[in-house]
Amino acid sequence: MLQFYEPQQDYGTPEAVAGAPVQLSIDGRIVSVPEGTSVMRAAFEAGVKVPRLCATDSLQAFGSCRVCLVEIDGMKGYPASCTTAVQAGMVVRTQTDQLARLRRNVMELYISDHPLDCLTCPTNGDCELQDTAGELGLREVRYGFAGANHLHAPKDTSNPYFTFDASKCIVCSRCVRACEETQGTFALTIQGRGFESSVSAGQDESFMDSECVSCGACVKACPTASLTEVSIIEHGKPEHSVVTTCAYCGVGCAFRADLKGATVVRMTPHNDGKANEGHACVKGRFAFGYATHSDRIASPMIRDSIDEPWRLVTWDEAIAYTAARFRAIQQQHGRNSIGAISSSRCTNEEVYLVQKLVRAGFGNNNIDTCARVCHSPTGYGLKTTLGESAGTQAFASVAQTDVVLVMGSNPTEAHPVFGSRLKKRLREGARLIVIDPRGIELVDAPHIRADYHLAVNPGANVAVLNAMAHVIVSEGLHDETFIRERCDSEQFAHWLAFIRDPRHAPEQLETDTGVASHLLREAARLFATGGNAAIYYGLGVTEHSQGSTAVMAIANLAMLTGNIGREGVGVNPMRGQNNVQGSCDMGSFPHELPGYRHLSDTATRTLFEREWNVVLDPEPGMRIPNMFDAALDGEFRGLYCQGEDVAQSDPNTQHIQAALAALDCLVVQDIFLNETAKFAHVFLPGSSFLEKNGTFTNAERRISPVRKVMQALAGKEDWEVTQDLANAMGCPMSYAHPSEIMDEIARLTPTFHGVSYARLDELGSIQWPCNDRARDGTPIMHVDEFVRGKGFFALTEYVATEERANRRFPLLLTTGRILSQYNVGAQTRRTANSSWHGEDTLEIHPHDAEERGVKGGDWVGVQSRVGNTVLRAQVSERVKPGVVYTTFHHPVSGANVITTDNSDWATNCPEYKVTAVQVSRVTEPSAWQARQRQFDRRQQKLLETAAPG
Amino acid sequence: MSRQIEQLVKMANQIALNVAAGQDEVIVARETAAHIRKFWTPAMRRQLLDFRRAGGAVAPAVAIALAALDNTDSNRSDTQ
Ligand code: SF4
Ligand code: SF4
Ligand code: SF4
Ligand code: FES
Repeated sequence: MLQFYEPQQDYGTPEAVAGAPVQLSIDGRIVSVPEGTSVMRAAFEAGVKVPRLCATDSLQAFGSCRVCLVEIDGMKGYPASCTTAVQAGMVVRTQTDQLARLRRNVMELYISDHPLDCLTCPTNGDCELQDTAGELGLREVRYGFAGANHLHAPKDTSNPYFTFDASKCIVCSRCVRACEETQGTFALTIQGRGFESSVSAGQDESFMDSECVSCGACVKACPTASLTEVSIIEHGKPEHSVVTTCAYCGVGCAFRADLKGATVVRMTPHNDGKANEGHACVKGRFAFGYATHSDRIASPMIRDSIDEPWRLVTWDEAIAYTAARFRAIQQQHGRNSIGAISSSRCTNEEVYLVQKLVRAGFGNNNIDTCARVCHSPTGYGLKTTLGESAGTQAFASVAQTDVVLVMGSNPTEAHPVFGSRLKKRLREGARLIVIDPRGIELVDAPHIRADYHLAVNPGANVAVLNAMAHVIVSEGLHDETFIRERCDSEQFAHWLAFIRDPRHAPEQLETDTGVASHLLREAARLFATGGNAAIYYGLGVTEHSQGSTAVMAIANLAMLTGNIGREGVGVNPMRGQNNVQGSCDMGSFPHELPGYRHLSDTATRTLFEREWNVVLDPEPGMRIPNMFDAALDGEFRGLYCQGEDVAQSDPNTQHIQAALAALDCLVVQDIFLNETAKFAHVFLPGSSFLEKNGTFTNAERRISPVRKVMQALAGKEDWEVTQDLANAMGCPMSYAHPSEIMDEIARLTPTFHGVSYARLDELGSIQWPCNDRARDGTPIMHVDEFVRGKGFFALTEYVATEERANRRFPLLLTTGRILSQYNVGAQTRRTANSSWHGEDTLEIHPHDAEERGVKGGDWVGVQSRVGNTVLRAQVSERVKPGVVYTTFHHPVSGANVITTDNSDWATNCPEYKVTAVQVSRVTEPSAWQARQRQFDRRQQKLLETAAPG
Repeated sequence: MSRQIEQLVKMANQIALNVAAGQDEVIVARETAAHIRKFWTPAMRRQLLDFRRAGGAVAPAVAIALAALDNTDSNRSDTQ
């Protein structure tokens, strides 16, 4: 869907929320629009563009520029069409001689203070000021340029991605309002009055030093070249654009990739994208340069041992070598001695093919995906309680929420565009409960303050959730009608007896939870009685030894209070990576086929057996940790790892490294030589999201198109590589395009029956289930009944984790993410995003720091039961005493050298969020870090000396 | 004990501790067996059974669960 570059349609003011129809006349045309619509928007809908400068449809009208004046019968003067709402029977004129004169006068004033360097301006041809001057037929500027002006005002180039050129600013305030209304950061102000007024970031700071989070909303809103992307300054206006989907987080923002030839010059958030509605964050908006980074590997490579240099080979050789090694391993060590790990960063079509290759080609079910280490408990917990392994809402639903419960999730950092939506709703007055060991931004943000922050001790989530349910039940605040009509009554009675027990009272659990019982009681009451309540949770819930139990306890809370099955409520897992939902949907877990159907189900298996023309093994395969354990025992010897960096992202790094080193054949398919690839025997160069076609499914079950905008660097899209490998292993595949893979998925998966590329082109995106019962998809699930029939109240006994603080390891380490970096950082570290987060640090409370003689910026050793690493300390009250916190975006930090291999009881999702540690001041890197640096250097050398062979 | 066996024992005990927490041992054992049956590979099940047969210690509910699994699994062939 390549189209010539056109600025996105701008209606001038936002859409009115479904008011009654109002009819009026505009320039003699009769128009009908919803009540509350502005005259400007009504005119646009009637095909009349009223000139404007300070209005744009993503922001509330402001009425400052006076360019949009119109005449309205019966109204005095010349009202601004952007701030005047339509009325029935209005007669509006937008084009008269008098209006033209007035508008030209205003425009002359603007232009007289604007450098007329249009020919050399980076936004020449894509500037609203220029367009408007043209529309108004401005031919001369009577005031001249000799008077006081801002033509020499300085530029702020502090931000690596955009520049602020004050000389081109018309002080329309669109940027200030975008930062407030769209992003919710409030970094910008207009300083001074009248002629002196100017845009300023913070207290006269540069953009980089201010509160700005570099979301780009102001840049998009700016009608002139005052705020312009550096890439546009470098390359000029794009020629064409392609709509695609961000490959970073689970929000799944839609973008227009704006191109010049085959070069992406800008990623512009797409106004029609339903997940983001024209907004974005610093990652998707700006951090796309990694795709053309010089570290990309463009040729397949092989080597017999990891101590040998790489040999550059052709695709055919690499594929034949892999197939031969895998088959040889199977012959010698049995069918189950090989397997694959797929990635949530890859498309649905790619992960579907990998699991097909394993089940139909390898002849076993040793396929797992990185969701194992993040949201596998969501799958288990929501399937058990509600019947479907997915979130229940669309993001837009939050606009109707009255009480938001955010638990173990940090939306403003990890899901920023949803974070902005949420902040908007909170500014409108929704109440907020945060359950998190750490004071995340939402606890105290501009114009937002959490009603309750329950700073739970790491590991005690289930205790807190049970205590909340206990309060609701014991105070009779539950929704009996909902429970009677919608839930399994026998099980509910069982659960009721369980939860009523005084052992779940907040007072009883105070020592475990670390939460004052009166606060917990108040929060529970607010949740149950405050109107529409919605729960948003993340890895702070799932990555625990009781991750699955906590997810079930969350579902219980929603059912208990009747908060499921309509707008504004629901259970919403915030998925980390772009395609976590999709990779789970596509049958990437070793026990189930696409659509979450267990392998033991003969009818489903038969369906796939017929389509694939094979006999499938009905027994579950190995999960990722089982593969590594078996590798150390010599039972598992060959691994195909697509797009996943287990050596950095999985817990207990030293164990993972030992397991990888024990493999006979490790095949890594990735865009960079990542940490895992340093242990590989075959490297298959991957394609970035800009180089292939496919689909991603975001956290709201929204399937969105990923479109190829440039040629794959190494000549093949990832799905083609998997297909070649399958064919080489005697598992025939002959797809000509990923759309054919989606057609197969749709044929075999009831919740996808109605999905096709044609439908995606038509609708833009589709929330599954999409089938005969829901032709355009399903924004809200479980509306009349639960997918499983009756809602199931699972018993959720609190069992404390084995990982406890003691005298040797007195602090609890928990991990998280930061806005500018993404997961293992392989992509974002190769962009200017590193200007914000050049290294991972250890947050430590002032008391704990003082006790250890640690000051901010000191190097500290962090020692756990399994390993130690060294990080720089950051003294912060965001964490409470007894808790320390870090991120894992940089391999050298070795955050996962200290995390243990404790895991969720049901799914083996690692317990990343609780590790008992000791922290002390040190002067040099840890032994692991020193060894790692050496290993890195050697592997880097082996890469540099790679030669055809 | 190999690390693999160590992990399997730990996993099984953890399942028994959580899967039907607070209920009587028969239910816990039944649910533990069902969970292991649903999510473990035959090889993992066999390894734990072998460990148990050789006198290895597991939680009481796991011991009952394994006996039940033994009955179902011994009727199946587990080809490599
Ligand atoms: S980039 Fe975003 S956060 Fe920064 S000033 Fe602009 S709107 Fe505000
Ligand atoms: S920087 Fe752009 S958006 Fe902001 S006030 Fe100036 S012209 Fe308007
Ligand atoms: S990283 Fe997430 S929030 Fe940011 S642009 Fe991409 S999808 Fe949107
Ligand atoms: S666009 Fe209406 S006053 Fe500026």
